[in-house]
Amino acid sequence: MAEIIDDELLIEQFRRGDESAFERIIERYSADVAALANRLLGWPGEVEDVTQEIFLAAFLGLKKFRCECSLKSWLFTITINKCRTNRYKRWLRLRRFSKEFDKVGLPSACEEHVIDADQSSRVRRAVSELPAKYREPVVLRYLQELGTDEISRILGISKNTLHVRLSRARKRLEPELAGLIER
Amino acid sequence: MTEDEIIKLLQQADKTAGGIAPVRVNITAIRRRAGRRNMVILVAPLAAAALIMVALSISALMFRTAEPTREQEKIALLETQIKQLQARTDAALGLIQEVLEEERRKSRLDELQAQLASIPDPLEEVQNQIDKTAFILVYQADRLYRELNQTDSAVENYNRVIELFPENRWAKVARQRLSEIQNKKNLIKQI
Repeated sequence: MAEIIDDELLIEQFRRGDESAFERIIERYSADVAALANRLLGWPGEVEDVTQEIFLAAFLGLKKFRCECSLKSWLFTITINKCRTNRYKRWLRLRRFSKEFDKVGLPSACEEHVIDADQSSRVRRAVSELPAKYREPVVLRYLQELGTDEISRILGISKNTLHVRLSRARKRLEPELAGLIER
Repeated sequence: MTEDEIIKLLQQADKTAGGIAPVRVNITAIRRRAGRRNMVILVAPLAAAALIMVALSISALMFRTAEPTREQEKIALLETQIKQLQARTDAALGLIQEVLEEERRKSRLDELQAQLASIPDPLEEVQNQIDKTAFILVYQADRLYRELNQTDSAVENYNRVIELFPENRWAKVARQRLSEIQNKKNLIKQI
């Protein structure tokens, strides 16, 4: 509760032109935002550019923020949107590359073999390969450990939809992860 | 496979991925980029408005200034000339119509005059009839007197001609005949 009051004070200070309030917001939430971005983007490790983009969007939009949800949820919403954009751009780049690879004739199994070498990386790959509508609930619920209310608010979906998506995500992950349990 | 098992696997995998490199958000860069974006947001509509204004000015220059005014003057002059020509044409047409009407009236008059000329003069006709009647009376009287020797009937007819048509030339003839008859009677009396 104190955190929420602090957030509102910071937002009010920022609205009145005190940009140092935004620095405090960055200090408070940059780690969480970066962690979420890292997970949504498939654990690339380097998420500084995306985080920079997220806080730029927050800086531009904070004066219009109506405090209908917590600042953290709002930042997570921005994070999700930016990560979607980032993944889409990356997909476009990869598609172009894959076309060039197809022309050269490199075996795609080679890359898979390298990734599959590590058990954890297989799990991360399985999550990363889920469609966005399943991956995002999984990351927010199981890795960020947010409540269903907050997740449904962040994603703009109902709780029922969230449960359905989580259930379907688990079903999709099961065949990928089943072998790992046996080991 | 239970939900817990899946969660456990996911969290293990997340942990083994290692922590992310410490994120350093550059507030100066954010301020600079935000300033640039705000500038774009402010300037873009102004630039668009300026562009529209320039485009409108150019179009106004192209279509509404010096040359077009001259063109408009030319058009106005031509319109005036056309109106004048039209007025003259109307006047000429009116005159032609009047002339044609006059000619039509004249030809109609000639036609009527020709028709009138073809109609015989009634006085002359009456005169002819009088002349004819007087002639017939004199002719019959002559026949009565010379061929049938009916002097009294002949005298009666001659007197009738003199009485009815005193100015006619056959009245003169009738008088001559009566004079002849009188002379003949006088001569017989003397004998």
